[in-house]
Amino acid sequence: MTSDLGFIDPTAGGSKARVALAPRPMDLAGKVVGLLDNTKEQADIIFETVADVLRSRYGVAKVIIRRKEAFSRPATEALLNEMAKEVQVAAAALGG
Amino acid sequence: MGSPAKVDEFEFFLEKEWSDGFPVVTPTEARVRWMLTGTRREPEEVVGPIPPALEIATVRTVAIHALMAGCKPAYLPVVLGGIQLILREEFNMGGVQCTMHGVAPLMIVNGPYAQKIGLHGGNGCFGPGFRANATIGRAIRLILLNLGGGISGRASATVFSSPIRYTACLTENAAGSPWESLAVSRGYAPADNVITCAMAENPRLHFDDASTEPGRLLTGIGDAMTAPGSWNMWFVSDLVVAMSPQHAKLCADAGMSRADVVERLSQLAVRKQSGVKYGGNWRPERARAMGIDPDDENALIKAVKDPQRLHLIVAGGNGPITAVCHGWNETSRFVHGSYEI
Repeated sequence: MTSDLGFIDPTAGGSKARVALAPRPMDLAGKVVGLLDNTKEQADIIFETVADVLRSRYGVAKVIIRRKEAFSRPATEALLNEMAKEVQVAAAALGG
Repeated sequence: MGSPAKVDEFEFFLEKEWSDGFPVVTPTEARVRWMLTGTRREPEEVVGPIPPALEIATVRTVAIHALMAGCKPAYLPVVLGGIQLILREEFNMGGVQCTMHGVAPLMIVNGPYAQKIGLHGGNGCFGPGFRANATIGRAIRLILLNLGGGISGRASATVFSSPIRYTACLTENAAGSPWESLAVSRGYAPADNVITCAMAENPRLHFDDASTEPGRLLTGIGDAMTAPGSWNMWFVSDLVVAMSPQHAKLCADAGMSRADVVERLSQLAVRKQSGVKYGGNWRPERARAMGIDPDDENALIKAVKDPQRLHLIVAGGNGPITAVCHGWNETSRFVHGSYEI
């Protein structure tokens, strides 16, 4: 943290490995897509609609919708692992 | 290579993404050693990961942020104690770091150490003007910004944020209070040094220079505690009410204890559903989640579902005002604990 500056730069980020973004697929045809419901109201309605469009217009093989426990808390490790096993593309999305 | 003269240290820190917009005390090794004289804890001791970025705060990094914020070494135990508390699971600091809301973890510090270091609970206690209040709260905020990454428009989706996010730390007006402190009311001894943290919006000032007895006074304050658009109406969440000594005395002189006032305000902070349904964040799903029929116009919606979640303090200077700080949502529950000096 100390350097030639003559003082400390405590900016965070230096101590952790950076995680690269997952590669983005060029198309969704035949893929399994996961949608993560944040539990806000009407998320279920929005997701069912989006799922229909993903299947009919983009050829998605299957849409899996999972629900977090609370919108203000991160999804549990177990839920994330479960989704990671099941889906090839995942989107975290808001109801509201 | 580079020499200190080439870098303007004020600009260096003001340009950081995690800056709060004000200059900081430049952290040099010598100054950090000075700050660390404020604690007996080892510099490398881990305090915890600050969400959502989860950078690890150590005693040393907390000391660096306290220094930058303008703290004296004597304030460091309160900063360390505050950080430790807000990292408790039930407080859900990570949720508030990311929320659209603008609440901040308000620290209410009770006990002799708060008095010793000059934490202020009298005139103007929400600031500005009082170093301990200003810099302890600012140290917490700088940690949340830098180590936690709770930066507006980045990890934080806050729409407006709020001035209370610059600093949010005060004590009670012990000399002006007719009652035991908040901490003592929760079972601590008067000699204990205790911090209570609750997620709070900016104080909303409720003037009442007309009431001469508690009934009218508390009816008005109760009404100020309810509001369409406040999450207190739809969630079991925290709410801070700071009564001026004058308002508190009006109640105490009529024989009311602190607990009596909490109980009474919990009953009075209520609106009929018809009064909160045609505006704000009413939704039928939210009414149903509280066991209320959304079509029942006369159903009562309470701002305080659990009196434990109403944090009544006596603070401020003399005058006929009570400050009401609304809260956040049900995923955060207030925390309190003693801290090491």
